[in-house]
Amino acid sequence: MTKRTNAVIVGGGVSKFGVREAHILDLFQEAAKACSDDISTLKPTDIDGLIVCSTMAGRHSSALNTAPLVAHRLGLKPTSICIRIDTLCAGSNSGIIVAKGMIESGIAEVILVTGAEKVYMPQRWETNYTQLMVNDHDWDSAMGLGVPPPFFAMIAKMHMKRYGTTKEQMAHVAVANYNYGATNPKGHFYPRTLTMDEALSARLIADPFGLFDCCPLSDGASAVIIASEQRAKGLSDRPLVYIRGTGQHATHSMSAGWPGETLAEWPHLKKAAEVAYKNAQVSAKDIDVAQVHDCFTISEIIEVEELGFCKKGEGGDYIASGAVNIDGERPINTDGGLLSHGHPFGASGARQSLELCKQLQGRATNQVKDPKIALAHNLSGTCAQHTVVIYGTEPVE
Amino acid sequence: MADIQTARIVGTPALEGTYISEMDMWPLECREFNRNYQFYDNLREGRFTTTKCQKCGHIAFPPGVICPKCWSEELEWVDLPQRATVVAVTETQAGAPLGFPLPLIIAWLNFGKDSPIKHLLGRVINCAEGELKDGDEVKFVVFDVPAHPIDVKKETKVCDRVYYAFERVK
Ligand SMILES: [Zn+2]
Repeated sequence: MTKRTNAVIVGGGVSKFGVREAHILDLFQEAAKACSDDISTLKPTDIDGLIVCSTMAGRHSSALNTAPLVAHRLGLKPTSICIRIDTLCAGSNSGIIVAKGMIESGIAEVILVTGAEKVYMPQRWETNYTQLMVNDHDWDSAMGLGVPPPFFAMIAKMHMKRYGTTKEQMAHVAVANYNYGATNPKGHFYPRTLTMDEALSARLIADPFGLFDCCPLSDGASAVIIASEQRAKGLSDRPLVYIRGTGQHATHSMSAGWPGETLAEWPHLKKAAEVAYKNAQVSAKDIDVAQVHDCFTISEIIEVEELGFCKKGEGGDYIASGAVNIDGERPINTDGGLLSHGHPFGASGARQSLELCKQLQGRATNQVKDPKIALAHNLSGTCAQHTVVIYGTEPVE
Repeated sequence: MADIQTARIVGTPALEGTYISEMDMWPLECREFNRNYQFYDNLREGRFTTTKCQKCGHIAFPPGVICPKCWSEELEWVDLPQRATVVAVTETQAGAPLGFPLPLIIAWLNFGKDSPIKHLLGRVINCAEGELKDGDEVKFVVFDVPAHPIDVKKETKVCDRVYYAFERVK
């Protein structure tokens, strides 16, 4: 279909992330409220499409056909689309990819993309147990692969062995992201700051990871408005932020299909980024600010490599050099990232994209100086799929 | 046949003593629910197998009812290597999903250049904490897992189950 308009991210909001005394539908309502606070002229009747992103809703909140529930509770009566998307940790960035296509083709004009999870259950065992159902159940999960730290610990061990990455370099990731997150009241660990000493002396979770190397699971929700350029101008006076390009690449589900030579190489991320860069007509060097999926400190180290921000194997040095700090060459995870802001799977993508929207509009809390191009990245599951969304202050010609 | 174990349910008495497959950590292996039941039958004979495409020769893992390379349905069962080398190990001492005894040891296994299956995350059982090292050899091992009931007309049939893991070659 011919592109009829450009898709724009207008603004959005998030609920408080953390261990929440709330139902998932409460969280969806909180995020929608925060979204309407951010876009003051927005009315429920402006919205013609709803994309709901959640993985746990069907299981933990007994809400299998989630989208109509959310539509009802938000007072929406969608006419173009009303669906749920489940790509686990990439949920709401997947939703943004779909929204972009629908808006650029003229099928929809104003779409609310919202993600939420109620992760914590009345008894804690059930949260870990559910994670057997988000992996390849009959094959990897039956081997005991459920909670993520053991898998990512193996990735870290291999990266340390092959490329000489150190625990100190991983601690630099945690320190950077916690200190960004200390400014964000909606974050799971707000207002905690972190020093290198604290990071390196933390209690061991899964060798080589200490407590601060691992993101928390969080309850929480996010919501963003994706609209046509014309409608966006009517909703807000802020500078337009265009969705320039996207890429999503899945190679496998079960570990036997892992595409890399070892767990330390992520060629599927490299591929997703190549596709997104091509669609966005930019390259890695053009990215002024990024939100990458720091589910573990090692993840951010490998991501800056595979996204092309530095050479393969040099991610640890790159981050330890301060490149990702607010005064560095490419600030990353400026709202605290998954490590500090928290990780309600389906809500994380829109949370990242909202921060980039604010950065490109010049109104972020940890504002980067005059950014033009921004990148969001999620990995999902046991690093089986990668999702990349690139934003810019100008549309793709 | 094995006995069926059911849960004592709090909160929803109607479910007391029932089998809830939505909470089952093991696969539904029986032929009534799985066209790849042969994989589990082969496990019972000590064989580690998968499906090979007779059209294009591709060996997939896990097995399926079509070839993921060419989508042919003409498949045959072939044996996989039963020994692998440990590349990296992770041991969980706390927080493993319910049902997995501690320590839960999982290893990234390399099956060698000539194997149709290159690598796999495998659970290593019968192994003490700290015992398994990078470079160790492991071998395939089969064990019983709990049976479950299925309704067949008005009868209840019990489905026995097995699964596989690896153990250290000493
Ligand atoms: Zn074939």
